[in-house]
Amino acid sequence: MPAELPTPDASTPATPAPASARAAQPAATGTGPGRLIVAVYAVLALAATGRSVLQITEYFARAPLAYVLSAVAAVIYLLATYALATARRALALTACSIELAGVLVVGLASYAARDAFPDKTVWSHFGSGYGYVPLVLPVVGLWWLRHTAASGGQSTGTRAG
Amino acid sequence: MVVTLAFAVTAVAVAWGAYAAWLAWRDRLVDDAALILALLVEAGLLVLAVVAALRFRRIDPHSEGATFLAYALSLPVVPPMALFVAIKEKTRWAMVVGVVAAVTVAVMAARIAQIWNLYAR
Repeated sequence: MPAELPTPDASTPATPAPASARAAQPAATGTGPGRLIVAVYAVLALAATGRSVLQITEYFARAPLAYVLSAVAAVIYLLATYALATARRALALTACSIELAGVLVVGLASYAARDAFPDKTVWSHFGSGYGYVPLVLPVVGLWWLRHTAASGGQSTGTRAG
Repeated sequence: MVVTLAFAVTAVAVAWGAYAAWLAWRDRLVDDAALILALLVEAGLLVLAVVAALRFRRIDPHSEGATFLAYALSLPVVPPMALFVAIKEKTRWAMVVGVVAAVTVAVMAARIAQIWNLYAR
């Protein structure tokens, strides 16, 4: 069931944040279950960044479009990880939205225009090379932003512009 | 060397993940055993990173050389991040993150072994 954030546990001495800091703003996005989302984002950021750096430095000419997209994806995953960990909602919302658009557009394009994608990127084939995590993660991220905004006392949406 | 090391890391990471899952299930926080398993994994990953960096040119450059080296060099970051969360987060989600970290290491280390077996000359 959707536990509140942070989960109150009798068995653990949990004092995640001062109550005064929590009351004024939407709940933090980087604690409790949010740690899991941040962690998965971090893993994806790590995989995308490492791969992208090597693709660009070692054999960029082979598939420039795919490798540039890999780099863009890597930067956005880094941004999303940072934004979710530090509860920067506007940035997190932007990053997650771009990711969702990216994985859908590049996913479709990788089937439609195979020639442009001779080598895999994080987003090609809807992220199948990464167990479709790139497809699922932005949806989870957006849901989590909405969920924490609501449980933090705001009635609708997020504060993001 | 690469394959043996990678599979050894995978095995310890699986043990670490299973133990972290058990701790999460029991709603417990990090303990000495989880810490030691994570440090063992980290030690293995550091050696693997060095060995992989020295030998990755033996992998056919038109295959998965980039993935191989990127995985080997970035994996040592994972256990410290999991331990950071284990210290900061005082709910069961700390150990859930540990499970994710361990599974990540296990899968990526196994992939390193697989790429070496397929493409190294």
